[in-house]
Amino acid sequence: MNGPLIVQSDKTLLLEVDHERADDCRRAIAPFAELERAPEHIHTYRVTPLGLWNARAAGHDAEQVVDALVQYSRYPVPHALLVDIAETMDRYGRLTLSKHPAHGLVLTTTDRPVLEEVLKSKRIAPLVGARIDPDTVAVHPSERGQIKQTLLKLGWPAEDLAGYVDGEAHPIDLREDGWALRPYQKQAVENFWHGGSGVVVLPCGAGKTLVGAGAMAQARSTTLILVTNTVSARQWKHELVKRTSLTEDEIGEYSGTRKEIRPVTIATYQVLTTRRKGVYPHLELFDSRDWGLIVYDEVHLLPAPVFKFTADLQARRRLGLTATLVREDGRESDVFSLIGPKRFDAPWKEIEAQGYIAPADCVEVRVNLTDSERLAYATAEAEEKYRFCATTATKRKVTEAIVRRFAGQQILVIGQYIDQLDELGEHLGAPVIKGETSNTQREKLFDAFREGEINVLVVSKVANFSIDLPEATVAIQVSGTFGSRQEEAQRLGRVLRPKADGHQAHFYSVVARDTIDQDFAAHRQRFLAEQGYAYRIMDADELLAES
Amino acid sequence: MSTEEKPAAPRSLAEALRARDDASLAALLRSRPDLITPVPTDLTQLATRAGTRASVVRALERLDRFALQTAEALAVAADPATYDELLGLMAGDAGDPVVAGALPRALATLREQALVWGGDDRLRLVRTARELLAPAPQHPSPTGLGPTVQEAASGMSPGRIQEIVTTAGLPSTHDSVSALAALTALFTDRARMTGLLAGVPEDSLDVLRRLMWGPPYGQVTADPAPRLRRLLDRGLLLPTAPGTVVLPREVALHLREGRAHRTPEPLPPPVGAAAAHRPQLVDATAAGQAQSALATVEELLKDWDEGGPAVLRAGGLSVRDLKRTAVALDVPEPVAAFWVELAHAAGLLASDGEADERYAATPAYDEWLELPAAERWARLAEAWSAATRTAGLVGGRDAKDRTLSALGPGLDRSAAPEVRHRVLALLAELPEGTAPDAESVLARLRWERPLRGRQPEDDLRGRLARWTLSEAELLGVTGRGALSSHGRALLGLPAAEPTKSPSTGDGDGSAYERRPGSATATAPGDGHGGSDGDDGPDAGRRHPGGAAAAGPADSGPAGAGDKLPVHHVRHHAPTPPAPRSPAEQAVASAAAARLLAPLLPEPLDHVLLQADLTAVAPGPLQRPLADMLDVLADVESKGGATVYRFTPGSVRRALDAGRTASDLHAFLAAHSRTPVPQPLAYLIDDVARRHGRLRVGAASSYVRCDDDALLDEILADKRATGLGLRRLAPTVLAAQADPAVLLEGLRAMGFAPAAESAEGDVLITRAHAHRTPPRTPPQPVPEGPPVPDETLLTAALRAVRAGDLAFTAPRKPNAGADAPAAGGELPRTSSAETLATVQAAVLTGEALWIGYVNAEGAASQRVVAPIRVEGGFVTAYDHTADEVRTFPLHRITGVAELADDAT
Repeated sequence: MNGPLIVQSDKTLLLEVDHERADDCRRAIAPFAELERAPEHIHTYRVTPLGLWNARAAGHDAEQVVDALVQYSRYPVPHALLVDIAETMDRYGRLTLSKHPAHGLVLTTTDRPVLEEVLKSKRIAPLVGARIDPDTVAVHPSERGQIKQTLLKLGWPAEDLAGYVDGEAHPIDLREDGWALRPYQKQAVENFWHGGSGVVVLPCGAGKTLVGAGAMAQARSTTLILVTNTVSARQWKHELVKRTSLTEDEIGEYSGTRKEIRPVTIATYQVLTTRRKGVYPHLELFDSRDWGLIVYDEVHLLPAPVFKFTADLQARRRLGLTATLVREDGRESDVFSLIGPKRFDAPWKEIEAQGYIAPADCVEVRVNLTDSERLAYATAEAEEKYRFCATTATKRKVTEAIVRRFAGQQILVIGQYIDQLDELGEHLGAPVIKGETSNTQREKLFDAFREGEINVLVVSKVANFSIDLPEATVAIQVSGTFGSRQEEAQRLGRVLRPKADGHQAHFYSVVARDTIDQDFAAHRQRFLAEQGYAYRIMDADELLAES
Repeated sequence: MSTEEKPAAPRSLAEALRARDDASLAALLRSRPDLITPVPTDLTQLATRAGTRASVVRALERLDRFALQTAEALAVAADPATYDELLGLMAGDAGDPVVAGALPRALATLREQALVWGGDDRLRLVRTARELLAPAPQHPSPTGLGPTVQEAASGMSPGRIQEIVTTAGLPSTHDSVSALAALTALFTDRARMTGLLAGVPEDSLDVLRRLMWGPPYGQVTADPAPRLRRLLDRGLLLPTAPGTVVLPREVALHLREGRAHRTPEPLPPPVGAAAAHRPQLVDATAAGQAQSALATVEELLKDWDEGGPAVLRAGGLSVRDLKRTAVALDVPEPVAAFWVELAHAAGLLASDGEADERYAATPAYDEWLELPAAERWARLAEAWSAATRTAGLVGGRDAKDRTLSALGPGLDRSAAPEVRHRVLALLAELPEGTAPDAESVLARLRWERPLRGRQPEDDLRGRLARWTLSEAELLGVTGRGALSSHGRALLGLPAAEPTKSPSTGDGDGSAYERRPGSATATAPGDGHGGSDGDDGPDAGRRHPGGAAAAGPADSGPAGAGDKLPVHHVRHHAPTPPAPRSPAEQAVASAAAARLLAPLLPEPLDHVLLQADLTAVAPGPLQRPLADMLDVLADVESKGGATVYRFTPGSVRRALDAGRTASDLHAFLAAHSRTPVPQPLAYLIDDVARRHGRLRVGAASSYVRCDDDALLDEILADKRATGLGLRRLAPTVLAAQADPAVLLEGLRAMGFAPAAESAEGDVLITRAHAHRTPPRTPPQPVPEGPPVPDETLLTAALRAVRAGDLAFTAPRKPNAGADAPAAGGELPRTSSAETLATVQAAVLTGEALWIGYVNAEGAASQRVVAPIRVEGGFVTAYDHTADEVRTFPLHRITGVAELADDAT
């Protein structure tokens, strides 16, 4: 009766991390509960229908779930909650998608009324074909993803047993010379491969690319990799050439500038979602080869049209990689139904403790607007307000002070507004990378930064994702995309790559006090605070006085 | 046989009662308390009262199914009947050992309740009960039996009877009476009857089989088919009315092999187990539920602390307020209604009785809050178990189709406490830790109190039982569906001895035999235990194995007379809800609280603060701590633990409540197990920095002056005290007096102030003339209506003439019709006279003129020919409606013989 877990009536689970049985408990509840917050003392997990079905998909049953709760719970678990869990889990698997030797893809049921119920739905009707027998109905093979998505929305998730195509074989091996997959990366690859399709959640800097490479080495087939932008595509290519048996020629880039299709092809979301005259001209990419594996980098950014294409790819293995499943548009359930359930998840702090990501000191610096700025802010139009307070001149002074303090270290200054960045670049004497900077120029600057030729780099949001800046130790954020939590996580990720000398990373967020900038900052930080990154809050005056 | 003990068999119920001993009379009065209100003067009066319709109906409604079946069987048997006849009707020709075993008990119950009297050789059902239960066309008997040959053939012509007798193979007789007797004898003689039926073709037998289990009536055409004709000819079917035939009772009984009931139910259906848990787990779960029940009630009342929802004019809570409460408590609406009603029942919540009536916590709530948690729970549970208000009805509609609202009128159901007690008692009979199957509990309750002739959806007791099960779980009386030990104690039920549970929990599924302890609890003496703890032992005795107390079947007839030691074979359903005395209840509650207390978690004095601006209380908090945190932070998640989130708004709330930033820092430092996270400390300081920087107050007017000294002078002047002046800034005074008074005051002090407009201009003292918005002048009001024009006038005149003509023309015929109307007041006679006249009319077959008030209260006069008078009803041919109708005697205002005004 003295367990580490407290089951709340709103179906959240509170896990006391300092408890001696906390680790056992975490392992027991991880299959069905989503880690929602992981601050220092008490971690919060949430039990959702999605998570419970996820657990069913992974082969756990209601009894195991109930047992785990009852065994580790400090207080008696409300009976109603246990009943609810059992009932929810019972909904999974009443419907199964499978391959019928004669009829192709079919939806079968073990509970006829459920099939009747879903067939009555207007959204299901166009997706199914003839009724084969009372318990079986044919499904158009092209609607495999669509029907899964719709059934999930109806609350009757289907178990997909229709399997995967192997795709065109292509030998890929990891070249582990002088390095090896880290244990958690191995675990992630294993979990993914075992589950068939799904999402791996790892902190920024924890080596998600290698998980992708590991999965490719398992699949040993042609692979399509979808990434956010060209820079990121180049990095994937670079990394793959370095870590695997693949050669430059085997890897193609499919982007705005180049349209190569090779056994391993890396495409950007942008080119896929380009529309001309109402059609997506680059969709044939999906059909251009018999892909055996599709990797979605930064799956939390997956644009809506890609979801739609993904629905048609249900017969191929899909791997989603992300630092956070938080989507500002709340489409997490689409990720679950179309790409797959979460297969691996590790709290950031845990990986930090293992030394694979650098410890970070997060500081929020609050600057005061000057009196005249306050007046101007008060009278600014609502849509201009954020821009106004985010670009206050005081921030420049603070940024300069921080840069001075860490002189000699590799410093990134990240911001949203080009004017502000240009001004900062000018004052700091640092180059600015923004949307209009050409790719060659970008790579040149990045290389220079890597080599230590440049210490300070000012970047706009183009550098949010997937650029590998191994030696950046300090990041200063002066403005952002409003209250985006995942952007904050991405930016922190810039400095989390483990440092050669093992010293601490610093993440500064400069915020204007008593303005919406401060509110947005609070929202942005929430994800990281919940991951256990405690922000210190400093007054700008204090900081200026120190330096 | 019972005459062995008495010189003569009793000749009436009164005599039978007179022969009973005190204990047995006490048992009668206990089970039928309506008989002693008011206390009867003698046993004759008691017997009379026991025979009244209302009292008999009440007694019948409280019989268990088997006792009722027994009474029904007696109602179709001969009067008086012997025990063997009764046994034959109940067990059939083949006999049924279970029925035979249970019958003495059922009979004893009926005797105890004074529904049956007489020795085993002359069993008599009291006449009113017989009238209620005997088959009649108006109210078919549950047995599905029809009238006897004698009754059914009473209207047939003697010639036809003789024909039937002959066809049936009997010699013809001189008169109908002996003919029918012979026919009855034939039908009741199994051997001869079998012979008779052997001669009937199969298709005719099919007809009989269809009618055999009732209803016994069938429709025939004027020219019946041969298979029907054969039956009619032999008297196996008898005509009752044109087009209708009936299967005589004797024939049906033969076909049924003597059984009055298709399925006699001698044994109570056992309560099945749905699941078995460890008793510790059950207690722990129930305790957790109890904890959350306390939290919910507190939360509810805290929510209503600053003025709860308004009371509807008709009383109760509006649907919208209930919805809002449900959202606030994060529970479904019916559950919210339960908590609201529970708090009300426990006296923690009431209407404040102000002009603008609202619900609010009572002073008792504050006292309740001071109690230890276990006692708080006991108070709630006690209130729940005794309440007649039923939250389950909320949201439904009453007979007048008004919505029943929570806390509103119309929620009282007097059966509720008894059903609750009974359901929990049934739970208590299961092995410890066993959750019952709800359906089997309902089946058991239905057996104990069958519904007589009502529809299943109207099954109030069933619904009450279902609500009891769910409410008990909510309240933590049960855990995982099984009765907890504190729940058991609260009900005053004997605690299941822990040593016993392993030996009795052997899965025999029989709840009835496993309570030897309970027998000892009630066997000695006959104290109050008999009134409230009697469910258990009786349940035990009902079991065939334990039926020794009722005696084996064969010894029943010999020994069981009216002197039966009735108090040993008590009726099983606790007819009176048996309220425990306050002292007993207090003892039970204290016991429950004692059992519960160690299961409830100790309140904590600390929380865990985290850098994401949350605080987690890993258990219930001590009250002062919880109160403070409720102000300082928002609750994010509830349950075993509480998660609080600090926001600028919540911190400001604490500052508004008079706390300072340093108070808050000290408070957090004192109650946090870990260092206060920097962001939290910063948040408090940041909010405190801005808190109160702007000040808001009310003033009616102000004085401003660029000269500070002049304002000093005004403030110093004694005459200014009445103006309520306060200095806001060196050059501004605020005043509570309004501008006109302030101007006057300052002028009186010798100053020359000027008034200022809202824009700050000096107002010119010459006041503006006051003007209304644009208005139209009033319309003149003429003395009468406007003079009509010619067309209107002629049209009106024509209408008046036509109406006049219509009124005067039929005058004459009307005059004649006035006479009966004038004398047509309802006849009024005393009820005795009415009864006598009607009975006389039955005998003479005369028509009567009656005054009758129907159920809606509308009076009418009718001419009727009474056919029979029974049970307070007159069945009569209604000449007015041209059909046979039944009139309740009490609705007949009076009767008069028809001859008087027939002409």
